[in-house]
Amino acid sequence: MKIAYYPGCSLHSTGVEYDISTRKVCDAMGIELAEVKDWICCGSTPAHRCDDLMSLALPAKNLALAVQTDNLKEVCAPCASCYSRLKFTQERMTNENLKRNVEQIIGSEYPEDVKVLHMLDVIVEKIGTDAVKEKVVKSLNGIKVACYYGCLMTRPPKVTGRQRFENPTDMESVMEALGAEAIDWNMKTFCCGASFALTQTDVVLELTRKILADADSAGAQVISVGCPLCHANLDDRQKQINENFNTNFKIPIFYFTELMGLALGIEAKDLGIFRHLTEVKDFLKERALA
Amino acid sequence: MRIVGPKNIKPDSAFVEEIARRSGENVFLCYQCRKCASGCPSRMFMDSTPTELMRYVQLGMADEAMKGNTVWFCLSCQTCSVRCPQDIDIAHVVDTIRIIVQEKKIKADTKNERLFNWLWMRMLKYMGRMYEVGLTGMLNLFTGRPFKDLPLGIKMIKKGKLRLLPSIRRPFATMKMFSRANRLKK
Repeated sequence: MKIAYYPGCSLHSTGVEYDISTRKVCDAMGIELAEVKDWICCGSTPAHRCDDLMSLALPAKNLALAVQTDNLKEVCAPCASCYSRLKFTQERMTNENLKRNVEQIIGSEYPEDVKVLHMLDVIVEKIGTDAVKEKVVKSLNGIKVACYYGCLMTRPPKVTGRQRFENPTDMESVMEALGAEAIDWNMKTFCCGASFALTQTDVVLELTRKILADADSAGAQVISVGCPLCHANLDDRQKQINENFNTNFKIPIFYFTELMGLALGIEAKDLGIFRHLTEVKDFLKERALA
Repeated sequence: MRIVGPKNIKPDSAFVEEIARRSGENVFLCYQCRKCASGCPSRMFMDSTPTELMRYVQLGMADEAMKGNTVWFCLSCQTCSVRCPQDIDIAHVVDTIRIIVQEKKIKADTKNERLFNWLWMRMLKYMGRMYEVGLTGMLNLFTGRPFKDLPLGIKMIKKGKLRLLPSIRRPFATMKMFSRANRLKK
């Protein structure tokens, strides 16, 4: 199976371990990822906050580039923000006027029949959790995982097409297949503050504290995420939160692809896990996962 | 909630028409149920709640809608849009207000978000891809707190999570896209 792969800017910098683990896991599951040639930034949140037309033209350009990559009709975007922007563009391009303008800007035809998938969709829809279960060589042994989706993986349903947008369960089914225990908690789709990390850090710290506190009180040992921005806020800023609010959170934050990789028998260092800022080495050693 | 008397309301019907036209949302359908305000993760930071903002829009109270910090604290998390019983895409209405504030260069409590957006789009235009170190550095410099997040940044560089040099891809392609868009907007 071959899918066009749109990593996005975060996966080449702050979320580099998501890129590494995604490639490893896809390799192990027999999916060939063809990186979109010369992809550009999707514009993310700042684009739709200041320039409506460009916020649609940038993802449209990437969709056109994706189709040019080996003529593939499916694009996988692991970053929730990229995924959301690509999906939003597809929804808005049903407006013929807008589409004409966007085609003028990107200088080529807008490709209609492309399917945009989040990495989690690739695992759940394309491979299936049963196939994942068969490949598990090192069960996660009942680690208690809080699956955190954040905003844009599921919302808004008119764009993502998801049935369960307030209480999604796809990541839970993957975690159960890996032998982990997915716990029930409240903040699955609560916002982490995402793009405010640089401008209004206080907001991010407050929102992220709430998420960590809820996961902690629900008994989570780790949090599993599918978005580089969620990861940056929960992992990189965890120490800052502890200092600011006098808390003592020590919750390792994993990309769900990293947990998959571990269960599939890939070494932790090959998945890029030791790039996390929150301590993970001891946690994995205790459980014989590293 | 602030109580506004009839004397304080200077309705501007052009404002509400512009919002409705540009966002494509029927803002008049809002009946103030407050589901958006209850779900908004950012409401405690805002001057007025999303529900109040919708009322300001309906009444054409342009100053109240545009000059406060409410739209600038919106995280675009889509919770309000998803939960609205009248199916108004409130986040899109907020986006539209933000864009108008930036286009008309209205003085507002933007919490550095306008600067952040501007820097982001400039980088994108000339580099094609995001350059986090440059973006953070410039933002901190312009906002007069050059050492903000420096220890975190150093840690991230040590872990190989930040690229010190930008990865420039197809800069002429993105520059061309921006200039074509500018021509279209005129």
